[in-house]
Amino acid sequence: MPFYLRNALIALLITLAIIATVLYAVNFLNEQRVAELRAIEDQLATDTLSIETQYALLAEAPCEGLEEGTSFATELGGLGDRLAFAEERAGANDPEVLRLKERYTLLQIRDYLLTKRLAQTCGLKPVTALYFYSNVPGECEDCDRAGYALSYLRQTYPTLRVYSFDYHLDLAALKTLIAIEKIEKEFPAFVVQGKRVDGFTTLEDLEGSFPKGVLIPVATTTATSTRD
Amino acid sequence: MDLTILAYPFLFAAIYFEAFLLVTFLSQPARVARDRAVSTKTPTVAMIVPCYNEEKTVGGTVDSLLDLDYPADKLRIVLVDDGSTDTTGSVMDRYADNAQVTVIHQKNGGKHEALNAGIMASEGYEIVGCLDADSFVHSTALREMIATFDDPMVGATTAAMSVHNPKNMLEHMQNAEYILGIALRHILAAVNGIYVTPGPFSLYRRDLVARLGGFRHGHNTEDMEMALRIQRAGYKIDSAPRARVETATPRTVPSLVKQRIRWTTGFLRNMTQEYGDFVGNPKYGALGIIVLPLGFFAILGGILMFGVVIYQIVKEVVSKILVVSGVPFDYTLSTLVPSFGNGFEWFFIPVTLFTLLAIVAVVGSVLFIVVGKKISKTPADLGIGMLGYMLVYGLIAPLWLISSLADVATDTRRSWR
Repeated sequence: MPFYLRNALIALLITLAIIATVLYAVNFLNEQRVAELRAIEDQLATDTLSIETQYALLAEAPCEGLEEGTSFATELGGLGDRLAFAEERAGANDPEVLRLKERYTLLQIRDYLLTKRLAQTCGLKPVTALYFYSNVPGECEDCDRAGYALSYLRQTYPTLRVYSFDYHLDLAALKTLIAIEKIEKEFPAFVVQGKRVDGFTTLEDLEGSFPKGVLIPVATTTATSTRD
Repeated sequence: MDLTILAYPFLFAAIYFEAFLLVTFLSQPARVARDRAVSTKTPTVAMIVPCYNEEKTVGGTVDSLLDLDYPADKLRIVLVDDGSTDTTGSVMDRYADNAQVTVIHQKNGGKHEALNAGIMASEGYEIVGCLDADSFVHSTALREMIATFDDPMVGATTAAMSVHNPKNMLEHMQNAEYILGIALRHILAAVNGIYVTPGPFSLYRRDLVARLGGFRHGHNTEDMEMALRIQRAGYKIDSAPRARVETATPRTVPSLVKQRIRWTTGFLRNMTQEYGDFVGNPKYGALGIIVLPLGFFAILGGILMFGVVIYQIVKEVVSKILVVSGVPFDYTLSTLVPSFGNGFEWFFIPVTLFTLLAIVAVVGSVLFIVVGKKISKTPADLGIGMLGYMLVYGLIAPLWLISSLADVATDTRRSWR
């Protein structure tokens, strides 16, 4: 075999080895991401169960110690960001991502229901927004904008609890929620404080769909100075 | 639509070529070439300096030749004024009294004609060399190169070029590129894969060049055409990685683009016309099977990768602007780099197959630039040049690649200068 052909074959093996290593590294990182998501979800599931148990234990004095409602809406939001990133990397049809998304959706529904129960029983006034989107190409041109605006609102108003749902996710509980809230196949669709809002135009319009005074901005401190 | 998938074949080709270079670099023929001692033999050499309007640099070029560590009675310097319209001719005439120097004035006929005049005037010399009139050789360069002719099948040999006194960013970038070229020629010489004997400084067996009929126009790339003819004649082209020569390079983007259009159209025309039989032909070994096909692939890849990157950037920016419109800018600013918003979060590192393979390809290029610098002992500060070469070249190279393809497709011919 000519000298250059021998080198060419060795180079081919090296190239294939490099590509295999890179593929392994990308796959490993994606698996680590999924493992982290799973860990967060497990923690959230435990938290949900804990609160439900606490709620049951305090049947006689149900609102004692629960003045602030459930505390992991923020964590749910963080998990949502991670899940969206993992979905983008691994693909929306990846079985593991789909499974995590289903669990995440269930967690959101449980948190939403629990929040509603606490509100009714304990007189709390949580601010909630359900957001239904679609990943089917061409079905929701404004969903990216709406999702981004909601992220902004969630960060600006920490008391706001945002629950995002993929309308087409094949999950019985979600279908029931969609039926209860009477969500049509027009996206994006919102349920703001129990009231349905269809479509998204601007951030101001979305903000305006909340009852006045319910959105409380994050506490800020300002430095002042005086001049003699 | 995600177009990055189109880039994968080119990334694969780039990594494959780098792996091939690495294996060949570590192989015995390349190691032997690196260890080759400076020649003690002193065959007769005629150095031809073809000139057209090089009044500012030709004096320095001739002085560097006169300073070569080589017996004066074995070294002839043939200065050919190819109808210059400036004072190049009179600068040359100042050396006419030197016993080593021959000065020829002729009507402008192009570089190949000037070289042929020099070859005609060097009857009886064993080796002829070409040194551009804006290039300056180091004193040991000739002896380094002569050593390669110990192999009777070596018909030509190339030197280790770097940029003379680089000042601006463009020159530094070209310096990094030229030093990469030193490594490439050294490695490809081990598999006889060189297809250009660059004008700044190359040596040839005179009898071979004369037998082949001298230099031709070669679509404005006479150095490539001659190298291909030498390959076709069954001779080898070697490289002397320590034979240092510095050359002036374009200082502006338009002049660089013009030069590269000449090089690229020369490559395309030679490869699709007179030397079309080389591509994919096992008769020409690594040159026919690997180097030339990948040369074509690199031109297409350079254009396509540029298109893909621009498309992706524009798509991302436009969609991002649409998404963030209406939301306060300070919030958008805080979300631009999600990985660092609340401290480093590995979760959001955008590691994809594409980015990792691109990083491997870039690291490979950096490695060979470092190899080129090390084996040639070129004292260059490569930091800024490498950075520019990696980041900027990919953006301006498509200018000459696209123009070259268009010129060849429309049979547009451009002047040398």
